[in-house]
Amino acid sequence: MANDFEGEQQEKDLVGSYFLELWRLKSKRAAVSFAKDVEMVNLDNESEELEEEEEPVPTELDTLNSSGGFSIVSPNKLSVQYPSVNLHGHDVGVVQANCPAPVKRLLYYFEIYVKNAGARGQIAIGFTTEGFLMRRQPGWEANSFGYHGDDGLLYRGQGKGEAFGPTYGTGDTVGAGINYASHEFFFTKNGQVVGTVEKDVKGRLFPTISVHSQYEEVIVNFGKDPFVFDVKVYEATLRKKQLDVIERILIPQTASYGIVRSYLQHYGYEETLNVFDEASQTSVPPITGIHDNGFNEYGTYALKHRKILRKLIKDGQIDDAFGKLRDWYPETVQDDTSAICLMLHCQKFIELVRVGRLEEAVDYGRVHFVKFYTLKEYEDLVMDCAGLMAYEDPKESPLGYLLEDSQRENVADAVNAMILSTNPELKDHTTSCLHSYLERLLRQLTACFLEKRLLNGNQGEAFHLPRLLTTKNN
Amino acid sequence: MSLFWSVIRQLAEIEAMATSKKVITRDDWEKKLNDVKIQKEDMNKLVMNFLVTEGYVDAAEKFRKESGTEPDIDLATITDRMAVKKAVQSGNVEDAIEKVNDLNPEILDTNPQLFFHLQQQRLIELIRNGKVEEALEFAQEELAPRGEENQSFLEELERTVALLAFEDVKNSPVGDLLDISQRLKTASEVNAAILTSQSHEKDPKLPSLLRMLLWAQNQLDEKAAYPRITDLFTATLEDPSV
Repeated sequence: MANDFEGEQQEKDLVGSYFLELWRLKSKRAAVSFAKDVEMVNLDNESEELEEEEEPVPTELDTLNSSGGFSIVSPNKLSVQYPSVNLHGHDVGVVQANCPAPVKRLLYYFEIYVKNAGARGQIAIGFTTEGFLMRRQPGWEANSFGYHGDDGLLYRGQGKGEAFGPTYGTGDTVGAGINYASHEFFFTKNGQVVGTVEKDVKGRLFPTISVHSQYEEVIVNFGKDPFVFDVKVYEATLRKKQLDVIERILIPQTASYGIVRSYLQHYGYEETLNVFDEASQTSVPPITGIHDNGFNEYGTYALKHRKILRKLIKDGQIDDAFGKLRDWYPETVQDDTSAICLMLHCQKFIELVRVGRLEEAVDYGRVHFVKFYTLKEYEDLVMDCAGLMAYEDPKESPLGYLLEDSQRENVADAVNAMILSTNPELKDHTTSCLHSYLERLLRQLTACFLEKRLLNGNQGEAFHLPRLLTTKNN
Repeated sequence: MSLFWSVIRQLAEIEAMATSKKVITRDDWEKKLNDVKIQKEDMNKLVMNFLVTEGYVDAAEKFRKESGTEPDIDLATITDRMAVKKAVQSGNVEDAIEKVNDLNPEILDTNPQLFFHLQQQRLIELIRNGKVEEALEFAQEELAPRGEENQSFLEELERTVALLAFEDVKNSPVGDLLDISQRLKTASEVNAAILTSQSHEKDPKLPSLLRMLLWAQNQLDEKAAYPRITDLFTATLEDPSV
């Protein structure tokens, strides 16, 4: 018996600590965005967590690792020239970008402008790997790819090229890109796609250009200036193509209704639920089958109570919420050092600060924070709250996130989950209390994208719900 | 190496690739799932987007209050949009056209196909109500001139007028025009046009995300065996079949 009880306690703690984790995440995000606002860079992000916007992108040519003597890179590191009469096939002037092309995205692209095709126009644009021989044209060696100006051929991994596109020379703008979704390179000339070719190489690739005859001069654009080729339109077309494939997948017509409905139940948005039910039953044609299908079997558990408590917390009436919780579900707040009690006490404190009752806040903190000070795992959060008092205008401070609606919502969600966990019928405890069906589906979706990328040499796009929410598809 | 052996080796490699699917156990997959953090605000936005786009104005209003989520469109415009939709659904096409023009006259001006479909629906309703003379007059005066602009309009018009030629319309080749689904089709076309005119997406995001989930799972299937979700209604993880 005793063991059972302990097991249950632990499970409840899992629920509570989950929401503390969400809080911490928010605190971290707030700190980061505040730091960005005041232009404190140098945030020590762990490198695996780097997403697109933080991934380093090539900005200039690498002057250290280049075929010195056969090319001269200009002081701004954005153009390259072949100064001498070339003596030998191996005297190619090759320059790589200062870092490899970023991979955690759909596309990468860069361009060159041929200022002077020189004596023979032996210019090439392409991609090479880290250990590339800096005396060879991109494409001549294994794991290198290049579109050559003098013959318009595409070279990949050998000295013999294959028919590809037109030649290019003085006055032309030529681009090279990687499509990580289709595993292809694509090349452009003067704003038009010339062609694509399979990218059968794993590992990081450096944008690379080369010159090989006297007076050849090439200016590279890594995106600082607008590209001649409209890469945005190209990307949009690719996305549209992918979306068209996705839109053809069949899903049950009522799936969305069901998922929204169970979401409203899960979080105790009861008034919305009632109105939604009423409307979907009287709509033409009526949405049938989802109301009595019995899915989300625990959804209606304690719905009224959960709704009332959510409302109280949302309105900042923490004392009332605490009181009701004690009356209705005493087991959830029995341990006064539990995560849920911490969250409620902190929220009460925050509400006092919000309305400017600072003295009361101080008194409240002194009485109620004491028992949490000794618990290491709560320290950071309690300190966040207490720190609010340091600011004359706490809303605009790095701790301002505490005063946002989402903080109340998180507390309300935690209380909601605690109540759900008291349902004696519950089978897979934590999952059911913590995650709505909608969230489970979104987590699965995100995990699939991440896993696919992982199995793909970590190249390609991840799934970002916030980005998807702000883009328009049609 | 002789050609024979290199072919044999290549075949062996192909076979190895085909069978070397990565297997991810339930425990490992659940760990990965737990690393995914979905923000509550984003889920709220998704739900709000669904309510708003599908026209659940009262539910959207309540949801705004209960969750603090702001809708991405003025809720008042939903009421108008739904009134138009309802008018078409119940066969009051004239009323619907008037309402659309009240909302924004450009919608029909810039969308001849939609306007034609509304007029066609009006013709269908006249025929449904047995107003033969009125129907013929309307077809010849209002619809036929529009058909000259566009060949496909003319074909649709002919098909619609053909309704008059059948005694037992329901079992005729054009019987589908009298079906409720024809009204719904027209209604959803108007609905989409109004949303577009308000620079809002015409479809909610949630169904697209569900499709995307099924698509992403199919893609991953090629490389790995892992717990999938096949039943969208219960979001239950199914053990990988190995």
